[in-house]
Amino acid sequence: MDSGKTLCSLLKAIQFQECAVFCALPEGLKLTVDEGKCVQASAYIPSDNFTEYHVRDDVDVIFKISIAVLSECLNIFGSAEESSLKMYYRNEGSPLLLVLQPQSVHNVMTDCEISTQTADSVLELRDEDAAEVAKLVLKAPAFLGLLADLERSCDIIEIHLSPEHPNVSIVTYGMQDRSCIDVPKSSDMVQSFSCEEPVTLKYQLHHIRLIMKALALSTKVVLRCSANGLLLLQLKLEKEDQRQMFSEFYIVPLLDD
Amino acid sequence: MKCHVPGANVKVLGRTVHALARFGDELYLESLADCILLRTLNAAESAYAMVKFNKNFFSYFNYNYYSTDDNEGLKCKISMKSALNTFKSPTHMDKQVENLEIKLDAEACKLIFQLKCKHGIVKTHYVSILDSKAMQAVYTKDSVPNRITSPQRILSEALSNFQQSDDQVTLEATEQSLVLRNYVDLNIEFTKVIRSQITLKPAEFDSYTIGEETTITFTLKEFKALLGFAEALNLPLQLHFETTGRPAVFIVHNGSTFEAHFVLATSKPDSATQATSTQNTTKAERSKRKDKSVQDSVRKKPHLETDTSKCLDEDSHLFNFIDIPEDENIPTENGNDTKLNNVRNTIDDINCVDITNNSQAMDCDNIPPSPTSKKIIKSIFKRCFESTFDPRAIQGVVLVENSDSE
Repeated sequence: MDSGKTLCSLLKAIQFQECAVFCALPEGLKLTVDEGKCVQASAYIPSDNFTEYHVRDDVDVIFKISIAVLSECLNIFGSAEESSLKMYYRNEGSPLLLVLQPQSVHNVMTDCEISTQTADSVLELRDEDAAEVAKLVLKAPAFLGLLADLERSCDIIEIHLSPEHPNVSIVTYGMQDRSCIDVPKSSDMVQSFSCEEPVTLKYQLHHIRLIMKALALSTKVVLRCSANGLLLLQLKLEKEDQRQMFSEFYIVPLLDD
Repeated sequence: MKCHVPGANVKVLGRTVHALARFGDELYLESLADCILLRTLNAAESAYAMVKFNKNFFSYFNYNYYSTDDNEGLKCKISMKSALNTFKSPTHMDKQVENLEIKLDAEACKLIFQLKCKHGIVKTHYVSILDSKAMQAVYTKDSVPNRITSPQRILSEALSNFQQSDDQVTLEATEQSLVLRNYVDLNIEFTKVIRSQITLKPAEFDSYTIGEETTITFTLKEFKALLGFAEALNLPLQLHFETTGRPAVFIVHNGSTFEAHFVLATSKPDSATQATSTQNTTKAERSKRKDKSVQDSVRKKPHLETDTSKCLDEDSHLFNFIDIPEDENIPTENGNDTKLNNVRNTIDDINCVDITNNSQAMDCDNIPPSPTSKKIIKSIFKRCFESTFDPRAIQGVVLVENSDSE
């Protein structure tokens, strides 16, 4: 890979837990973290981001790794430096090898060995039976602006989606006050909107906030709500070389009490 | 009440709310027939701010929208937090917000701020009304001898030289120059503080009239807030002040649409400049100083308590370890309350004198350790200070062996 920089910033965006499950699939790399079985975040790097990519397809290449150490190693020459990256992993129990070479200086090379752990099973939050009730595509910077404007002190966010105007409304409850943000589907920031039935979903604002770092890197965000309330956010990150990386967040809803 | 604020002015309103938020925790809103007044008062009642928005600030203005029988406008108090939440980022507000509508929901007792933003986004904030009272401070700004009009940058540039920890500033105004210095509490050791002083020449100001030379001290936090406000709006700042103890009024206005008054209580300067300050205690001054001292007693309590006890210790010239009971301090403090500043200066003076006393006292061996010894040391080597402590008792007993064989 020519530069580990984007990978590193993507890792930092999902770094709200110590360890991530590193999974190398023939299609690409996937790193997954989850918090309290309520939020699951993954960074997905399709194989075409790499100049060379070989994964054995007869065994599962899956292990657990400290995400802090990994991102620190990727950043070993400082954040300003672009450095080419090679990653090697032999088999279960062996360390992940990183070879980093800065682009501006010749004949300098770092060899990092990060020990790995056996992975636990990855929580499967997606329920295949639950139908998708709404899907919307938003521009990430504008969505980030909306989230940043939400009051910090409140903990519950309510998202109303409906086919009628206003199509999206986000309600937060403060100490005594109520704030409401309405976004019609005709808005510039909404690129596509599909919703058949009005739905109301409640989430922990704290959980929603976890996506903000990743949102700051992304260009586009896809929100999918399934019938059981599970929110899936897919964020697309476009690099300068037209390649794409993705991050995915599953957020479990709050149930009515 | 119902009014519309056009996009460009939303930024001004946002800046105002942010400046007011650094004064008080509550925002008083009053609508009159031709203007809207925003007011706030800080918790210690030593700083007050009032901003008047004229009718032409708004694109639509109706102070009595619901045409109720009583011909009164709206008077209400809302929490500053909710107001801040409405105007979260004033810096790029003008780019996003196209229009702001403020109206009163009489039935739900809510004040509604509806921001119409770019991309067709509508943000509505339903803010609870805490009270329906108006508040007004009494001060004079017109008949004062000292008036300075300052370009917004100069004072904030001067203040940027001060330390973050400084909380009060002393302004010494003479006909030749304006001296700004950080107020140093004499209870703090001089070796531990940085004293800054900046002299500004009258030529730097747009206008400079000093009818009565004076020295005033006021809080830096609010002063910085109002300077920030003037700077953000690129408007000059007018200073109107009399003398020590009388409120200083800072005015920012753009001539037509709005006018902001910031009133800060002033206190006596530190004793270094005490000689130059005048001491006329008019009734108004005393009441204002009371406000000030209430604030001081809240903020400076930790200092005060130790210092009063120290003072009592030293004043009696006993130099003994008599633990002054807490109860004894409290009446002294309450008694001091109204004339705290005077008392504090006396304490300072005593301390200065006694520091020299102590050094003399140190020479004589028969006098027990000086009461100014640091508390922390006292607790670490506590036994050494006990009157029953006998160094011979521990002789020859190795409590801890030498760590190194050497």
